[in-house]
Amino acid sequence: MSSIPSTPSDAPNHRDGDTGTDAGRVNHDRTSMHPNQRFASVGSVRSTTVSPSSRWNRRRRVALVTGVLAGAGLLGGCARNAPQDIFDARGTNSGMINNLQIPVFIVAGVVGVIVMAIIAFAVVRYRDKGQPIPEQTHGKASLEVILTLLPAIILVFIAVPTVSTVFALANTDDTECVVNTAGQQWWWEYDYPVSDDGTICGYAPSEAEALPFVTSQLVIPTDTNVLIRGTSRDVIHSYWVPRLNGKRDMVPGRVHYLRIQADEPGIYAGQCAEFCGLSHANMRMEVVALDPPDYQAWLDGQLAPYEAPAADTLAGQGETLFIQQCARCHQVDGLTDPITGDPVISAPEQFVYSGAAPNLTNLMSRLTFAGGTYNLANNACWADVWEAPSSEFASRYLEGITPDCLNEIDLRGWLRNAPEMKPMYTEPDELEPTDGKVRGMPNLGLNEDQIDALIAYLLERK
Amino acid sequence: MFPTGSKLLIGATVLAAVVTVVYGVATEGALGTIGMAFATVALALLSGIVIYARDANAAPGTAEEDLAAAQVAPTMSPWPLLSAVGVTMMAVGLVTYPVVVIVGVVVMLAGALEWLVQSWSERSSSSTEYNAEIHARMIGPLEVPVVAAITAGAVVYGFSRVMLTVSKTGSIVAFGIAASIVVAVATYFAQRQRVPSRSYIAAIAAGAALLVVGGAVSALNGERDLKVIETTADLGFQGRCGVEATGADKLYSQTVGAKSNQAATVTLGDDEVLRVDVPGFNDSESRVTLHRANPNNVLFRNESDEERRLKIVVESSDPDNGSREVCTALVEPGAVQLMTLYFDKPSFAVDGGYQFEVPGVDGATVEVVVP
Repeated sequence: MSSIPSTPSDAPNHRDGDTGTDAGRVNHDRTSMHPNQRFASVGSVRSTTVSPSSRWNRRRRVALVTGVLAGAGLLGGCARNAPQDIFDARGTNSGMINNLQIPVFIVAGVVGVIVMAIIAFAVVRYRDKGQPIPEQTHGKASLEVILTLLPAIILVFIAVPTVSTVFALANTDDTECVVNTAGQQWWWEYDYPVSDDGTICGYAPSEAEALPFVTSQLVIPTDTNVLIRGTSRDVIHSYWVPRLNGKRDMVPGRVHYLRIQADEPGIYAGQCAEFCGLSHANMRMEVVALDPPDYQAWLDGQLAPYEAPAADTLAGQGETLFIQQCARCHQVDGLTDPITGDPVISAPEQFVYSGAAPNLTNLMSRLTFAGGTYNLANNACWADVWEAPSSEFASRYLEGITPDCLNEIDLRGWLRNAPEMKPMYTEPDELEPTDGKVRGMPNLGLNEDQIDALIAYLLERK
Repeated sequence: MFPTGSKLLIGATVLAAVVTVVYGVATEGALGTIGMAFATVALALLSGIVIYARDANAAPGTAEEDLAAAQVAPTMSPWPLLSAVGVTMMAVGLVTYPVVVIVGVVVMLAGALEWLVQSWSERSSSSTEYNAEIHARMIGPLEVPVVAAITAGAVVYGFSRVMLTVSKTGSIVAFGIAASIVVAVATYFAQRQRVPSRSYIAAIAAGAALLVVGGAVSALNGERDLKVIETTADLGFQGRCGVEATGADKLYSQTVGAKSNQAATVTLGDDEVLRVDVPGFNDSESRVTLHRANPNNVLFRNESDEERRLKIVVESSDPDNGSREVCTALVEPGAVQLMTLYFDKPSFAVDGGYQFEVPGVDGATVEVVVP
C-alpha cells in the first residue's frame, strides 16, 4: 500500500525458518523498528511450532477440498437437461453470439487461469512465515509497458468482432414478423399487430378476420426473423431466451427491440434476467416455434370465435362465475354479459399495479400459467410435448391441454390461494404504497365447487 | 492464532450467522435469509483467507510494552459524542418524523466510523506521529469529500431557497449586492501583500454562513407565487385541441425529446396524408398497435406547409373521467414533437375505436389498435 510509509533498508530482519532463539532478538529490536516491520517478525515465532509433516497434511486436505469443489463445478457443466444453455444456439442470432463468445471465452479463460495461478502462487509462496520484507522498488518500465500493451492488443482483437456482432444484432431491416411484448410483475404479455395487408407475421387467417390478439406464450414461425418490440409496465425486466438470443432489458416508458429466430420447431425456455421483485425467479417464459403450416393452424385457433358453454353445464356455471370474479382483471375475447349482451371488458388497471392481467381467451392452448411458474399439462403430457422429436412436436403442442392432460393439482391450488403458490404482494393491509392495487393474483376465497366450475370453463378456452 | 486483520472478519461472520438465524426464525423470509447466509459464507471465506495468509498480523508485544504505563494515551475524541447524538436523534425520530430517524442513523454511522478508525489508528504503533499520519490517510479520502459535499449542498440549498423567495427584481438587487461584496473583498485581498490564511477562511466561512442563514430565512418565508403556464395537457382537458393557436403552443420545443425511443412516428405529408412508421415494418402503415395500460411515446412529424397539431381522443375506464383529448402543440412545418399516450381501454371496447387525426385536415387519420 503506497499510503503506508516505506521500510528503512537498514532495519533488522530475519530469514525464513529462523529458530526460536532468534525470537528474543526480534523482540528486543522492535523499539527501533518501523511499525510495518514489526508485523514481519511474528511468523518466526509461530513457525517453530508447526512440524513439516503436519504442514504437508494440511496442504493435502486443502488440495483435496479444492479438487472436490472444482470437480463438482466441472461435472455441473455436463448436465444434459439444460434448456437454457447459453452455448446451445438454436437460431441465427444466438449463433452469432456463440461465434463470438466461444473464442472470447477461451481467451478470457486462459488469461483468467494465468492470473489466478499467479495470485495463488503469490499467496501461498509469499505468505507471512516470518521472512523479512523484501527490498521495495518502484516499478519497472519495460514490464509495465508490456503489461499494458498486451491486454490492449487482446482487447482490440476482441473488440472488432464484438462491435460487428452488436451491430448485426441491432439490425431491424430484415424483420419478417413483429410481436409486441410487455413485462410486468411477474409475467410477459404478447400481442401480434396486423399489417395493412391483413396478415399477422405474413400469415392471413384462414377464416376469421385478422385481429390483433393478446397471449401469454410467444409462438413464432420457424426460419422467420421476428422482432420483439418490448417494454415494461412497472419495473425493469429483462427478456432472455438463451437459445435464441441474448438478454434485453425492458424499461418502463421505453421501447426496446430484440431479434429472435428459431431454426427448428420446439420450445425454447427463458426467464427474466433483471431482478424485478419478490417473484423474479418465478418470471419465466417459453417461446414456441412452429413450421409454417402449423403456425397457420395455431393462428387460426387463436382467432377462432368464442364459443359460450351451455348454461346448464358445469362450464356454464364457470362462465357466470368467471364474469363475476375473474373478468374484472382477465379478458376473454368474445365473452358477453348474459343479461345485457354487451362485451365483458376487463379493467385490470383499476385493481392491478401494473395495469394488466393475462388474457385467458386461449389459455388451454398454452403449456404454462402463472407467468410460466407452473405447467398446465401434467408431467406425462408435459414430457410428451417437450421431448417430442421436431417432426412430431407441432401435432402434440397444437392439441393443447385436454382434460386428461390437465395439471389439475397446481391449477386448483392456484385458484384456491394464488399467493400461497407464488410470492406476490396481495395482502390487503399492505397495499397502501400501491394505492390498494395488488401485484399478482390475490386470494379470491373460492370454494371447491366454484373451483370445479371455473376449471370446467377454462378447459374450454383453447 | 488469529491475525489482527481476521478478527473483525471473524466477528462479522459470527454476527452475520446470528442475524441469519434470527431473521430466518423471526420473519420466515426466505430471500433475506438466503442473502444473509451468502453474506455469512462470504465473510467466512474472507476470514479463512486472511487467517491462512496471515495478513495484517500483529506483533506480540514485549513485557514492557504490554504494561499499561507504556501505552500511548488516546487523544480526545468527539466521535462518541456524535454517535450518541445520532442514537438520540433516532429515538426522537421514532416519536416525531421518520426523516429524523434516517438522519440519526447517518450521524450515528458516521460517528461510529470515525471512532473506529481513530481507535484503530491509535493502536497501530507506539509513534503518535505515525498514528496521526495513518489516521489521516485512512479517513481523509472519506472525510474530505463528505464534508465538502455537505458544505456545498448547504450553500446550494441556501442559494436556491433565496432565489425561490425573492422576486425577479429583488433577485437582481440581492445578487448584485452579493457580487459587489465578493469583488470588494477579493480586491482588498489582492492589494494586500500578505494575508493570513485565517482571513481567507473567515471570509469564505462568513459568506457561506450568510447564504445558509439567508436560505433558512427564505425557506421560512415560503416561495413566491410562480406563474402558471398553460400546457397541451390543459388543452386536452379543456377540449381545445383545434386548429387555433394557444398560449401552450408558444412554449413547446419543436425539436424532439426521447426521439430514439418512440413506439411509432406519425407523419403528416405535404400531400396532407397521415401515415405511420413503426420499426420492424418496412413500409408506412395506415394503423398502429400500441400498448394498453402503459405510456406510449409517439412522434409527430409535420411535413405539410402549415402549422398542424396531432390529436387523439382516449377513453378512460373510470366513468368519472370519461373521454378526453390528447394533442401536441401546433408543430411548425418541418418540425417534430413527442406525444405520450396512455390507454385504459382496448380499442374494441370503444365506439369507433381510437384514431389519430389532424384538426383542419379532413381525412388525415391513422387507426390506433389497442389490444
